[in-house]
Amino acid sequence: MRDYVLVLLRGADYAVLAYFLALNSSYLIMIGLASVEFAKHLRRTTFTGADDMFRSPLTLPVSVIVPAYNEGAGIVAAVQAMTALRYPRYEIVVVDDGSTDDTFEKLRAHFDLVEVPRVVPSEVPYESHVVSVHVPRGSGSLTVVRKTNGGKSDALNVGINLARHPLVCMVDADSVLDPDALLSVAKPFGDDPLRVAACGGVVRIANGCKVVAGRVVDVRMPGSWLVRVQVVEYLRAFLMSRTGWSRLGGVVVISGAFGVFRRDLLVQIGGLAHDTIGEDAELVVRLHHYLRDRGEDYRVIFVAEPVSWSEAPSDWKVLGSQRRRWHRGIAEILTKHRHMIFNPRYGRIGLVALPYYLIFELLAPFVEIAALVLLPLGLWADAIDVAFAWRFALVAYGYGLLVSLVALFIEEVSFHRYPRWSDMLRGVVAAVLENFGYRQVLALWQVWGAAAAWRGRPAVWGTMTRTGFDTHEPTPVETVGAGK
Amino acid sequence: MVGLFSVTILVLVAVVAGTAVGIVVLRIWRRIRNRRLAALAAGPRRALLAFVADNGEEGSEDLIAIPDDAWSAALPAALGLLGKLRGDAHAALVSVFLHRGAARAALTDLHARSGVRRARAAQLLGDLELREAVPELCRLLTDRDHEVRVVAVRALGRIGDAKAAWRMIASLDDHDPVPSLLATQSLAQMGREAEVVLSAALDHPQARVRAVCLDALGLIGATGAVSRMARVLADDEVLDVRVAAAANLGRLGARGALKPLTDSLDPPAPDLLRAAAARALGDLGAPAAVPALAAHLDDGEFQIAHEAAQSLRRLGPPGIAALRERDNDHCREALALVAPELVGAS
Repeated sequence: MRDYVLVLLRGADYAVLAYFLALNSSYLIMIGLASVEFAKHLRRTTFTGADDMFRSPLTLPVSVIVPAYNEGAGIVAAVQAMTALRYPRYEIVVVDDGSTDDTFEKLRAHFDLVEVPRVVPSEVPYESHVVSVHVPRGSGSLTVVRKTNGGKSDALNVGINLARHPLVCMVDADSVLDPDALLSVAKPFGDDPLRVAACGGVVRIANGCKVVAGRVVDVRMPGSWLVRVQVVEYLRAFLMSRTGWSRLGGVVVISGAFGVFRRDLLVQIGGLAHDTIGEDAELVVRLHHYLRDRGEDYRVIFVAEPVSWSEAPSDWKVLGSQRRRWHRGIAEILTKHRHMIFNPRYGRIGLVALPYYLIFELLAPFVEIAALVLLPLGLWADAIDVAFAWRFALVAYGYGLLVSLVALFIEEVSFHRYPRWSDMLRGVVAAVLENFGYRQVLALWQVWGAAAAWRGRPAVWGTMTRTGFDTHEPTPVETVGAGK
Repeated sequence: MVGLFSVTILVLVAVVAGTAVGIVVLRIWRRIRNRRLAALAAGPRRALLAFVADNGEEGSEDLIAIPDDAWSAALPAALGLLGKLRGDAHAALVSVFLHRGAARAALTDLHARSGVRRARAAQLLGDLELREAVPELCRLLTDRDHEVRVVAVRALGRIGDAKAAWRMIASLDDHDPVPSLLATQSLAQMGREAEVVLSAALDHPQARVRAVCLDALGLIGATGAVSRMARVLADDEVLDVRVAAAANLGRLGARGALKPLTDSLDPPAPDLLRAAAARALGDLGAPAAVPALAAHLDDGEFQIAHEAAQSLRRLGPPGIAALRERDNDHCREALALVAPELVGAS
């Protein structure tokens, strides 16, 4: 019996190692694909025609929807920055989702808002009640909607209903967009208007960066090691991975912090779902579902530059809450759309992208924790010896370190966003910390999040303590929560 | 197994160290290169700015005399200016580029093996607005590389020679056509000289081609094409094309557009077309459209009633009077935007 258990333990250890190797190899493949895409992008910057797009009277106008809940401290600066984006024709629709702070009052005072009667169509279902609609006296690019609290999805759905333009851009109220961000993320719709259904932009971490007049003017590594690790993680997992998926035609996640969609398609699929906490990714999966079912020829794209800058959690508690929520979202989406997984009818999405998310995203933290349990157990039971154990750990996590370093290298070659030597050094150290400590703690929260989804626990957004950007102005500390 | 692990660890350590060293080497190389380029480009950049500040009247000889390596370093700045300048300053800078042999090199590069080189050359020829390059750029409309075709369309638009119109229209009827909006913009840049070709293409079998030509006709203000566009509005078999016809008839603002648009307000026209016609009547600016629009303020379809109300608002006093006679949400919304403090907030 003991021999049987020992063989089982040893086999499990090898299985875990094989999983880690496959996982990190998949990251490397994505980074390889992303680097091809970046090289292509950089060689073509002289003839992309962005200026022509800016000057053309035919460029598709965009409705930028900004859901806001208790964003009083930063909402005016955020909206001001958005009004200065470089794009020929766009409107901003701020949806105040029943804030209990002074979000609306600040907007009203700063932009001299007046209430207007406005018929809100119900093309996309929403559950709350629209209280009033406001526009600035004498200027037309901003609309502020006040509604009862209904959550982020509900706020976005109200915004979609009120959007007057054919493209809808969803942006978080705490995001800082590069001046050309809207132009870049809307460009694929102009290049291929018949097929492009949605386009996501990259989100980078703004902590530590210098922000002046709503623009990131100096990119720096954040002061906290916890956030530095997230910078490296975002590079590998979001920038590289999503660019790689875009090249493969398998983008299933567009961040709610920055993405553009065709409004008519959003109306056809009923807007954002109210029953999942990962509403942004669910929307994209449902879009694939809908368009594949109809046999449409379409594309969902990810562009790597320019970017939306967002504040990342700077303490463990908030980070834990965020990652529980994200993983819960993945679990809910994969459960909800489970019949698409391994279903040839859904092409690359059903046969490659969703299975990948199931095996290498949803299950990864479970395997991570299994490794943390099985390795000591194997040692204790003499199924493996110490020499094997430390080499095993070093191979598994060392490969992860290599992947993170390669991501840093590609970032350096392509975008070179962190010009200081000290920042790059910190990035290298953060890559080490990501693999030895950070990932393991993250896995616990992720398992917790997935378990909450499967047990049907009520979804809670939690709170996000914002410390503000480095604006060289006093930035009050606020507590915000999006939606319910 | 342990031995295999040991070898793997050694390989990993070597690759990790190699990657780290790679980052360092890359940074150092980038710094050295950037410094060298900045030093080389400093003089030419100053000369370029002075040249542009003088509206191109003085300094062209200095720019032509710049050594090749320094000009290459300053080329991104020069190209940026070339794309942005208009009028005399643009013509003067073009002359500098021509003297430096840029057009000759670009025309040669149009035959390069690399798609990126062909596209860059096409972009430069467009920025130079070189009419002699039109036949070669037309040839690129059927290039194997989609990006090259896109840049060729843009360049032909920038040059604005109507002789390229029919070739561009033909390139839209392709299995992987250039973007419609881009083609529309380029065709519109060719101006009234392209009107005859565009008008004739309204009978093209491809719906996409017809829609592009309608938009281009609307943009160039081709009032002579109203009757043909009205025929498309009434008879075309593709709804999107009819919607485009309605929008562009409104844009033209010609008297002859009133009746066909008014006729499209009612069934059996599909709702999408009816809403487009209501919007176009507002763009048309003809007070004679008021009764027809007022009759649709209580339309069961949200979009039609909404567009009718907004169009009445845009038609000024007679339209506003019609809005005041009704009492529904669409009228209230439109009337609110007439208030002096909200003019411009529509």
